[in-house]
Amino acid sequence: MLVIENCRLTWPDFTADYSLTVETGNLCAVIGPSGGGKTTLLHMIAGFERPESGALTFNGQDLLPLEPAKRPAAIVFQDHNLFPHLSAAQNVALGLRPSLRLTRDEQSLAAEALDSVGLKGFDERRPGEMSGGQRQRVALARALVSGRPLILLDEPFSSLDPALRRDMILLVDEMRRRRPVTILMTIHTPEDAADMADQMAFVADGRVVASGRPTDILGSALAPRIAAAVSDS
Amino acid sequence: MLTLRLPHPGTLVALAIVSLVAGGFIALAGFDGGTPALLSIGPYLGQVLAFSITQALLSTLLSIALGIGLALALARRRFPGRDIVLAILGTTMVMPTIVAVFAVFAVYGRSGWLAELLAFLGWKGGFSIFGYPGILIAHVFLNGPFVARITLDGLNQVPAEHWRLATAFGFTPFQIFRHLDWPVLRGEMPGIAGLIFLMCFKSFAIVLALGGGPSRSTLEVAIFEALKIDLDFGRVAWLALIQLAICLSMTTLLHWAFTRPPVGHTIRNLVHRPDAKNKGLKILDAVVLLVSALFIAPLAFSVLTGFRSILAVIDADLLRAFLTSLTIATAAAVLACALAFALASAARRQRLVLRSPRIASFYDLLPDALLAVPPFALTAGLFLLIQRFGDPSRAGLILLPLINGLAAVPFAYRYVAPHLLTTEERYGRVAASLGLTGWSKLAIMDWPVLKRPLAAGFVLAMALSFGDFGIIALFGGTELVTLPYLLYERLGAYRLDEASSIGLVIVLFAVLLAHASGRLSHAGD
Repeated sequence: MLVIENCRLTWPDFTADYSLTVETGNLCAVIGPSGGGKTTLLHMIAGFERPESGALTFNGQDLLPLEPAKRPAAIVFQDHNLFPHLSAAQNVALGLRPSLRLTRDEQSLAAEALDSVGLKGFDERRPGEMSGGQRQRVALARALVSGRPLILLDEPFSSLDPALRRDMILLVDEMRRRRPVTILMTIHTPEDAADMADQMAFVADGRVVASGRPTDILGSALAPRIAAAVSDS
Repeated sequence: MLTLRLPHPGTLVALAIVSLVAGGFIALAGFDGGTPALLSIGPYLGQVLAFSITQALLSTLLSIALGIGLALALARRRFPGRDIVLAILGTTMVMPTIVAVFAVFAVYGRSGWLAELLAFLGWKGGFSIFGYPGILIAHVFLNGPFVARITLDGLNQVPAEHWRLATAFGFTPFQIFRHLDWPVLRGEMPGIAGLIFLMCFKSFAIVLALGGGPSRSTLEVAIFEALKIDLDFGRVAWLALIQLAICLSMTTLLHWAFTRPPVGHTIRNLVHRPDAKNKGLKILDAVVLLVSALFIAPLAFSVLTGFRSILAVIDADLLRAFLTSLTIATAAAVLACALAFALASAARRQRLVLRSPRIASFYDLLPDALLAVPPFALTAGLFLLIQRFGDPSRAGLILLPLINGLAAVPFAYRYVAPHLLTTEERYGRVAASLGLTGWSKLAIMDWPVLKRPLAAGFVLAMALSFGDFGIIALFGGTELVTLPYLLYERLGAYRLDEASSIGLVIVLFAVLLAHASGRLSHAGD
């Protein structure tokens, strides 16, 4: 279980105070207006932002003292996930070993991961030679292969067109069937993942305003605010 | 029906530039019954070429090494005064070469700071800065900070996501260098190295003042000496042709390789670099910063000693030289901007309206190709032409703004051309449907967007021209004195106090102009 308790972060012009619980193995969709603190929430879990107070644990392990590299989380950003001078296979391999000195087994693991996101034979391709959707698939493959039980997807498909976006979300859903992972994913529109997500969290003004089953959240009094946030972005 | 259409002004300008350069060369080559055989100057030419290339290679290597080390150290470290350091690095780009010569004399000269320090420490030996040491010090002083500044801007372009990934993967400092820094360096260095090699290869003032003998000449200096001392126009023509061939192939190569957009002042580097904590890198960066400071700071600050005697050197001569420099710089800037604007609008028309990118890229190449033309040879050729038609004693007044203006065209072009392209892309169709053409298109569509970059280019052209010590070395004398020439005279007489004050005036004015140019070009963003 991922437990976030009153994690406070302050900037001169923004204050965040998060409390959220996500069951292990669940897919939690994070929705809310842009600038409301969705990304900051994920960055905090990944360790890029450090809260001044509060508690953050995953399956009982305290995450706060851990460096980002030591946390059980893998992250995928909206853009710039891949290093342009490395091939697809090498970019995936970074998730296994940053030195890129892979054993035979690890090499086949990376190739399998590419295969599992539908990119068989793309091993030697450079990011510049792939489409936006293919690049995000490589990033997903890397998150998958890293073996980390917590996967953070920060608007991973926002720059893709709706049909492609749907494909990618189906892929994420398939991913978690293959391996038990807990996923937090920020999304723009509820349609993107409402039927797939076990949980939905509405984040605005640096707070988790509500969290629960997607149908409950979307059917609640928050519906107009969610609609406004969606049309706003 | 016969329609008579006037060619585009840019076409006329391009023709004028090409025929001016060609005419100059033909006049040179045709002077006084032809040219000597290439063989007769062979050994001398070989020596000059070897020296030109060797010193340029060494200068480039050292500048790149210093620049990369400094850029990485500055990227990793935050310290009080870092912004001031960045500002100082920016100013050496407009530091006139003749002022750099002064700085080398003041710090490393026979009675410079280093000699005084060594004498104080009881060291009795002497050392000479003439030849390689002086030339390399001056070139690295001018170019190393430039490399650092451009590289730092490049390093700051690395997306924040990559830094977060590096943190999340727990990259070691070596892996950070390999995956984040090295790709940037590898992408930018060929272009920067080529540019610096070109500038050092055709270096004039520094090699003239610090070379210390005829065996240590660049082609540019050799052309000058053939003109000033031997009046051997034939030799000038040969040397100039070789210089032109080498530089033109370099610039053409660079033109295709070096397509990076102009340097922005991104100090966006808010991302925390995980390798900043590494002990080994802390030591390395400290050493790099210390060595750079020890090298750059004395040279940069030597000119400030001019404050002491600044009131004593202000006299009628200095004021007259100041006004002459200002007049030449203004005329050169007007010319540079007018030519750049005409060429850029011709390039835009070819690229976007007539859809012929090949011809457009010819217009783009022309300003850069001007960097390859040896100014002394062009001056000599044009001088021969002017001599036929008018009073040669007045030639300097025409040739100085002309040659300086031509030299500033590539810089003005870089300010003007991108903006012209963007406005056409955005509003070209609207303008066409409204029937806006010619002057009304210029006034309504282009001018509002163009006035700031044009002003920025104008002021930068002035700054470059104001401090230039080039062909004034031919024309300077009792009749015609610019500030850089005055400085050169005082240096030649070892009157370092006066030289420092004149240098200070030049630098202050050039830096002021460059600062204004920077403000102008960024205020609209």
